Amino acid sequence: MAQTARSHVFGTKGSRFDVLFPTTRSLSWVCLISLTLIFGGDVMGDEVQNLADLIDRRIEARWKSDRVTPAPRAGDAEFLRRVSLHVAGSIPPVADARQFLRDESLDQRRRLVDQLLESPHYITNFSNFWTRVMMPESATDLQGQAQRPGFQAWLRQHLGNNTHYDAMVRELLTISLTGDRSMNAALQNTGTVSPIAFFTTKQIKPENLAAATSRMFLGIRIECAQCHNHPYDSWKQEQFWGYAAFFAGIERKTPNEDAIGEVREVFDRRELTIPDHETVVQATYLDGTQPQWRTRISSRNTLADWMTAKQNPYFAKAVVNRLWGHFFGVGIVDPIDDFGGTNKPSHPELLDELAADFVAHDFDLKYLIRGITASQTYQRTSRKTHESQNEPQQFARMAVQGLTGEQLFDSIAVAVGHLESFQQQQPFQFNQNGARGEFLELFAPDNSPTERQTSILQALALMNGQFTSTATNLDQSSTLTAVVEFPWMKTPDRINALYLAALTRKPRPEELERLTKYVDSGGSSKNQKQALADVFWALLNSSEFLFNH
Amino acid sequence: MTDRSRLSRRDLIKLSACGAFGSSMSRWLPSLANEVSKSPDRRRSVILLWMTGGPPQTDTFDMKPGHENGGQFKPIDTSVPGIQICEHLPQVAKLMQHCAPIRSMSTKEGDHTRATYLLRTGNLPQGPIDYPTLGSLFSKELGQENSDLPNFVAVAPYTQFSPAAYGPGFLGPKFAPLVVGDANRVVSNTPGMNYDQSLAVKNLSLPQGINVERADARLSLLGDLESDFSSQRPGLNSESHRSAYAAAVRMMRSEAVKAFNLDDEDVKLRDAYGRNQFGQACLLARRLVERGVPFVEVSLNGVGNNQTFAWDTHAQNFTSVKSLLGVLDPAWATLMTDLKDRGLLDSTMIVWMGEFGRTPKINPQIGRDHFPNAWSSVLCGGGIKGGQVVGKTSEDGMKVDDRPVSVQDLFATMCKGLGLDAMKQNVSNVGRPIRLADPTAKPITEIVG
Repeated sequence: MAQTARSHVFGTKGSRFDVLFPTTRSLSWVCLISLTLIFGGDVMGDEVQNLADLIDRRIEARWKSDRVTPAPRAGDAEFLRRVSLHVAGSIPPVADARQFLRDESLDQRRRLVDQLLESPHYITNFSNFWTRVMMPESATDLQGQAQRPGFQAWLRQHLGNNTHYDAMVRELLTISLTGDRSMNAALQNTGTVSPIAFFTTKQIKPENLAAATSRMFLGIRIECAQCHNHPYDSWKQEQFWGYAAFFAGIERKTPNEDAIGEVREVFDRRELTIPDHETVVQATYLDGTQPQWRTRISSRNTLADWMTAKQNPYFAKAVVNRLWGHFFGVGIVDPIDDFGGTNKPSHPELLDELAADFVAHDFDLKYLIRGITASQTYQRTSRKTHESQNEPQQFARMAVQGLTGEQLFDSIAVAVGHLESFQQQQPFQFNQNGARGEFLELFAPDNSPTERQTSILQALALMNGQFTSTATNLDQSSTLTAVVEFPWMKTPDRINALYLAALTRKPRPEELERLTKYVDSGGSSKNQKQALADVFWALLNSSEFLFNH
Repeated sequence: MTDRSRLSRRDLIKLSACGAFGSSMSRWLPSLANEVSKSPDRRRSVILLWMTGGPPQTDTFDMKPGHENGGQFKPIDTSVPGIQICEHLPQVAKLMQHCAPIRSMSTKEGDHTRATYLLRTGNLPQGPIDYPTLGSLFSKELGQENSDLPNFVAVAPYTQFSPAAYGPGFLGPKFAPLVVGDANRVVSNTPGMNYDQSLAVKNLSLPQGINVERADARLSLLGDLESDFSSQRPGLNSESHRSAYAAAVRMMRSEAVKAFNLDDEDVKLRDAYGRNQFGQACLLARRLVERGVPFVEVSLNGVGNNQTFAWDTHAQNFTSVKSLLGVLDPAWATLMTDLKDRGLLDSTMIVWMGEFGRTPKINPQIGRDHFPNAWSSVLCGGGIKGGQVVGKTSEDGMKVDDRPVSVQDLFATMCKGLGLDAMKQNVSNVGRPIRLADPTAKPITEIVG
């Protein structure tokens, strides 16, 4: 085993040498031995590195031709905070941060990602992520909210099992719809594990399902062609309705226009009439080909076969780009779900290769995440070190990204030591009151993480609101109380601890000096403990805390 | 690359130019009331009276006397000969010269959630596009940067039907409303009920035990952190953070927040508005408009405990509607006269509407159900040529006979009345430009311009 690993390290993988032995670290035999032990026989690990190298190669090639000077590699603290937010949905607890920052081994970043991917936080974070993608209605309307718990439970089950992406989408597309799909029925079973809310939130209408599935899973926005031929793109109205015809077999027996009732499905109905037109269109794939129909197989099944096939030219690219956008704030194609004719990828070869590699690994989402986070491109600092780093799609420095409401709430909770009981979280109730519910409403994300705007109400809530007030109250905050009351600590140690809790880093020397002076003088209240509370307040209100970077 | 920037370079420069923390946050506000209204460049304001749940047209502005659908209420004459409205709106009736009831709203969406989104954004929920609520849309055009108070204030909205219908959508949080009171807490407008909390801005005052000196010290610590961060990682995120904090602090310390001190008002005037949440919220709306806030919305979310969602009168329609009108009439009428007395009615458009109307046919529970086919809304005040009725419904009220008005027609009419170019575009979150109103919309020219 050791033999195999050594041959990998010293063999043909020259570029990996740079990765594993950055110039800041001295090469020592100890490192080399531990490296050998860790990578020994881990074939998966090598493939992850190959994927990371592939990314770096393509990104770096563009820098050369475009004369871009990239930012240096991020330090461990910066990386830890960033990847924890992206993968696990919150900043790391102090204990984890201390442990990671002490860890001198060379593969610590890769091992960290592995740990995060196996943690329940990955499941929670990405069930929120996929809910936003697949059921955006759950953030915007009452009926969507009501159906969120069952849908999220379905996602959590699959994320926990690491069900591969194609299988997950296939199950979603082909779930049986027969039965009572009324709002009342949905409300009585809000905790039933099922993706059916995907359909009910789209009114189970062929045109809505066509628009949603093509955009979400293929990155194609054909919905504009619903009413007329697309002005910029090549999509025609008949193509839209031909695609919608895959959902034509769904029969909604509705009490009136606005409500869904009993639903049943006719498997062999594969055509529909374009509303307000005479034209009848047959179910046709978006690439223009006609399906091979089989008896007793629903047209939705047939569509799912085509959609999730390895040869599908859109499916893998769309999801790879979506995850890229999650980690970098900007997609290779951006907006991430618009692969239209005028919206070109910044790195077309990279997108093709990433998609091909993802397909070759059977649509394994965790593999893709491992590869992206292992790349040097992902591990660059977000500090701007050169004028040429302004263009976000050069990926020459990490973009500063807004957090979702969940990420923000959970990060504050971690920083201040706030525990919310299971009961308070009400996983199977949609009407979430309490601090978390309020936060989610107030901090509902807009669509562009790199251009996140802060509202006045958000600022007021963070400055004066109950949650931060409690967090910075000497009688009520766990973190602050621990830091302030712990004997034998000097002021700089206490400031260090607060920085680590909120920002996952130690203060820079000039910061430490400035703040030590402030705390020792007691601040405006001439009280050192209160001055520490002031420091904590400032940290929790800072951009550095409120964004991922 | 597609144009995805919502904050342009110019905006960025403007943001950078805005004040630093802690210093000169409080500015004297000399201009109030008459002085404001006389200013030649004063732009129009809007007060939206939102009727949560959908009010019945046949029991308000489109009476059907003599028909079985007409129900229990009688029509009365108004200040405009030939226009009759419900007997339970006697004060509004006297001000009909300022009002233009539209009796031919026709909107085709009868589900609360979707209709709320439709009437408040002008569009049905449509896949990926996050349309802004009309308050965000119009206040963006009417408002000014760096004013002491936000450009859009929503008083105690009930957002549960469709939270997205109350948000800034693709315009972003910069154009989000300042919400006064707890959203979604239905406050009964029954006499004697406490409504103070529902008229206060949450988190506007410093936390308990923190005085101004300590708040300044904190802001100064924050300022150090911010200047470090934004010099190392320049970009729109931290700029927007800075401008939102600056605006919040400016508001906290401005004279203008006195708008929320309703106790400063004359007792008789407060009584005239009605001593209930909705009445006092209308008074607050006047105080905000007076201080230059261009868009204020006030919701009538219920009276007593007899209905879940205010106007959603599926049962016992007439009992509920009578008590709702009892709150609505004095508040709305006093708002108009009060604005008029201060010379502000000509520059303040008042919009009265819900998400749809109610069935003309009365159901066995003596209720009326959802009805989007033919219903009423009312425009009054600034920019509106009042004293005329738009459109006509059939004798039984079941369909529009003349001049159907779509939601886009209504939006285009508001644009025209406010002096806005309906063809003005905003770039949406999907990159596609969206106009204030659809090019196909037909503004009701007879009541605006």
